[in-house]
Amino acid sequence: MQNSQFVQFASLVMLAIVPYILASQGTMLAGQTGLFIVSQEGVMLVGASVGFLGAFLSGSLLIGLLLAALSGAIAGLALAYFTTTLKLDQFVIGLAIFFLGLGLSNLFFKLVVGVTLQPPIIPTLKAVPIPLLSQIPILGPILFRQNLMVYFSILLSLFLIYFLYYTSWGLSLRAVGENPKAADSVGVPVARSRYITAIVAGMLMALAGAYLPMVYTGSYTDGIVNGRGWLAIALTFLGGWSPHLIFVGSLFFAGVEILALRAQVLGVGLPYQFLRMIPYLATIFVMLLTYKRLRTPAFLGLNYDRESRTSI
Amino acid sequence: MSEQSVVLRRQGLGSVFQALVPYIVAVIASFAAAGIVLAVMGFNVPRAYATILFTSFRTPNGIIQTLIKFVPLVLQALAFTIPLAAGKFNIGGEGQLIAGAIGATTVGIMLAGWPAPLLLPLVLLGGIVMGALWILLPAWLLYRFSINEILTTVLMNFVAFELIDYVATNIWPDPVAGHPTTIPIGAGGFLPRLIQQPPLHAGLLIAIFIAILVYFYTDHTSAGYELVATGANARASRVYGINVRNIFFLSLLLGGAIAGLSGAIEVAGVHHRLIAGIQSNFLLLGLIIGLIAKGNHLAVPFVAFFIAVLEVGASAMQRTLMIPGEMVFIVEAFILLFVLLSDVVRRR
Repeated sequence: MQNSQFVQFASLVMLAIVPYILASQGTMLAGQTGLFIVSQEGVMLVGASVGFLGAFLSGSLLIGLLLAALSGAIAGLALAYFTTTLKLDQFVIGLAIFFLGLGLSNLFFKLVVGVTLQPPIIPTLKAVPIPLLSQIPILGPILFRQNLMVYFSILLSLFLIYFLYYTSWGLSLRAVGENPKAADSVGVPVARSRYITAIVAGMLMALAGAYLPMVYTGSYTDGIVNGRGWLAIALTFLGGWSPHLIFVGSLFFAGVEILALRAQVLGVGLPYQFLRMIPYLATIFVMLLTYKRLRTPAFLGLNYDRESRTSI
Repeated sequence: MSEQSVVLRRQGLGSVFQALVPYIVAVIASFAAAGIVLAVMGFNVPRAYATILFTSFRTPNGIIQTLIKFVPLVLQALAFTIPLAAGKFNIGGEGQLIAGAIGATTVGIMLAGWPAPLLLPLVLLGGIVMGALWILLPAWLLYRFSINEILTTVLMNFVAFELIDYVATNIWPDPVAGHPTTIPIGAGGFLPRLIQQPPLHAGLLIAIFIAILVYFYTDHTSAGYELVATGANARASRVYGINVRNIFFLSLLLGGAIAGLSGAIEVAGVHHRLIAGIQSNFLLLGLIIGLIAKGNHLAVPFVAFFIAVLEVGASAMQRTLMIPGEMVFIVEAFILLFVLLSDVVRRR
């Protein structure tokens, strides 16, 4: 009995890591080239809205996901253009895109669906058990009886670890975020690296958003992201901008989220509002515990100007 | 930002106009962009624009609605721009507004029988103190451990959303209201009305007073100069003997206190009780106002008024023309983008 409860809890955690992993790995990837993105909350909302509407109108979740990724790519492209080409402040542009995302996501929904009391519902992503592996006791149901996005986010994390630390492309990319002048001088295309990572980051963030209506609720509301975008930034900092620690951290974030939900259902004496504060307070607490060990790319948040005379 | 205002003072009206040009272009460009979208969707663009721009000035009710909107917007903008002047970002204005509203409501309900000359100042003070307390943890974490204030202030917003829900459903719930709402505060805690019908509360005077005070503080006092200098170059300021960590801490606390005051004014002036959702989207609009004004404290009230006009127009447009109000929020975000772009143009 104990055992099956643990399996159930752990498999729910694996289900809940997806938005954190996708949004944080995206943030991390852009950060490796020195781009500090703060639009997560807005891009995730656009992804949720576009993904939901795409799936609702086409009847296919895959099309919803693809459209969401496209909307995220556009957001990433805009971010890269304003910061890397026009050299505007990354934080301010990030906020502006966050605002736009907030407005657009609700606008899309209202234009397509209109104001209704009965919000439309889409089917949720189904679990796809992997043959043989899903038969393994305990590990099988936790890891191998999940939906495709769970597999995707795990494989993505593994791929990013491999790519960033075991390939020369990854090394070049990290050099852009540490010292773009040095990278530029040996022929690494600084601007192109930033464009590519920003676009990929936008796609991952939008997919993180699209996951929410497709797995959690089946419907879209304007509060659906509920701070997960900001939590993803925190997670990226806590993970020291490295893909493996972000993966571990996402287990913690998802675990806290599921625990808080569980406690609400079971009723532990505390009013549910206080339980729902836990993820945010826990994040601040962990920031306090880890602030000394945190490492960020040296050029994070700064725009690179080839012709500037300053040393970095 | 201060550099700009110095230039304004020296060169008079001609350069005021020059400084306004990018703003005018930005507004026109944003409306043009939105107009194309609206036209494609088949809406009546001239009528939509007339509604957005003139609703505020057509009727006394429109003017008063705009002024009531102006109050939280200008205060939220200042809660963002004061720390911004020191180079710090307070993205927690709505959490502080909620905390302030809770503080004001607590005082207003607990001391409900007290006479107005005592209760009203205490209600407002309750908001100011709670707003400052709400930012105390992020400010202290920044002061003591250099922990980035952007994330901590944002995360405290989400804590506040839960707290207001708790207070409005568990501590002083109004059993008749269908939405999380408390019972009203004592009548002595109501802000007096400047105009009876349609009602306009005296919070407007407080907001204008605070805006003037902040402008004089940052642009005409030496303490304010230390704030701006820290924001311009923290390292140089430290070398010249300014305690920049104190400046960071105090600027955040000041921002939190002003945001808290905006919550208290919403309670004492508008709702006379605590309502979940009292924060509306004032934080985002406050950020947009502060960024459009580029942190210039002379410009903040004017930009806030303009945004209030757009917001009142937006709800009228949604009511009468069935155009989603989000359209106007997108226009506002576009204005910000175009204002930022004008810097690129100027650089070349």
